[in-house]
Amino acid sequence: MCDQTFVAITFGPCDCCGKASPLMNIYIKSEATNYCSFCVEVMATQGLQAGESAASLKKESDSLKKKLEEERAKLSDIELSQVAEKIEVLAPLSIKTRRVLKGHGNKVLCMDWCKDKRRLVSSSQDGKVIVWDAFTLNKEHGVTLPCTWVLACAYAPSGCAVACGGLDNKCSVFPLSLDKNENLNTKKKSVAMHTNYVSGCTFTSSDMQILTSSGDGTCALWDVESGQLLQSFHGHTADVLSLDLAPSETGNTFVSGGCDRKANVWDMRSGQNIQSFECHESDINCVKYYPSGDAFASASDDATCRFYDLRADREVAVYQKDSIIFGASTVDFSLSGRLLFAGYNDYTINAWDVLKGTRVSALFGHENRVSRVRVSPDGTALCSASWDNTLRIWS
Amino acid sequence: MMSSKAQSSNNLAHARRTVQQLRIEASIERIKVSKASADLMNYCSEHARNDPLLMGIPASDNPFKDKKPCNIL
Repeated sequence: MCDQTFVAITFGPCDCCGKASPLMNIYIKSEATNYCSFCVEVMATQGLQAGESAASLKKESDSLKKKLEEERAKLSDIELSQVAEKIEVLAPLSIKTRRVLKGHGNKVLCMDWCKDKRRLVSSSQDGKVIVWDAFTLNKEHGVTLPCTWVLACAYAPSGCAVACGGLDNKCSVFPLSLDKNENLNTKKKSVAMHTNYVSGCTFTSSDMQILTSSGDGTCALWDVESGQLLQSFHGHTADVLSLDLAPSETGNTFVSGGCDRKANVWDMRSGQNIQSFECHESDINCVKYYPSGDAFASASDDATCRFYDLRADREVAVYQKDSIIFGASTVDFSLSGRLLFAGYNDYTINAWDVLKGTRVSALFGHENRVSRVRVSPDGTALCSASWDNTLRIWS
Repeated sequence: MMSSKAQSSNNLAHARRTVQQLRIEASIERIKVSKASADLMNYCSEHARNDPLLMGIPASDNPFKDKKPCNIL
């Protein structure tokens, strides 16, 4: 029987054996108690506790789920789109392709903007990671990873490093050298180690920590310098495909989405899953916070994107059309949060009116699936990455 | 190979964790959708004028838009 790793919030005398150890907060017969992990496992192997049975736990779990649904429904007094009826309809956007970044030899899987609003990093199926100047189309850096399918890449907040990972099950950090001739592989730092592919990575508020999501069903927080695992996040029951950090003003949380169709919100310090949403009918490919941090959106293989308000604790909008039948792989908000750009497997990008729930514009140009869309840090442009081996800048 | 006793305790431990998790989720404070919607709308309108993709910005301010070409006669 495996002892699941847990993060202990309290340390002290166990209520069962009296020994001082890290304590797990558990309920016995609805009473909160603190047991050390040894006593918890002893209790579990003894099977049934007096008053507690597999049947009573199932009953409690079902009644809690029902209570959750009722609580959420009680507060659902009006639809977001109804409240938004009074605001003006948006005119179609005059957004066009302004740049096409060619250079990858295979599908571009991921990209991320640098905070300087002009550089970006992209990663591809052929193992190549390229740093571009989007104004001039110059390729500033390039590095080849020993693995294929580099599914995730991220720019460090300082602009001095990039992180990437994929089928190698790792996430590595490459400090960017000022010397264009230096091979970035020489300074490579292996940081994250998962037991399956890395699907997403992001730096936290500094260059010192990265957060990763993985096909092994977990997310994890790592110290870049030492490679140490700082916190792991368990709760998804299948591959985690995406994660996004809350905007810095709102505190230490992040959201993740995966093949179990769930979007989970996590507390970074405690490792606790604080909210969970199961509304999609298929894999969630991407999750992204709304700029205020009070909401987030998701893109799914069920051809819809959805919008969830965290304080109301429910889904408040679904972005769908009968004519859209291909999966949505990626989403990002414009600076004000009024527009949601979503990339689809039918090669298009749709711009949705977040409040009214209607489509404002469709952007055509890519010749294969759109794998990633990201709005630039100052909101002037949208970058899209595609399986057609290119990236496009729209503005 | 797990014995059936170990297997059922695994299920019990899992069931306990599920109940724990649901208790946490059921206990959070929630607000009405009408209030949440109003706040989302306010945020959008407050920031709309600073949203270049929404409002459009003049070509001269946009590093990606090409300036009008000069015709050299």
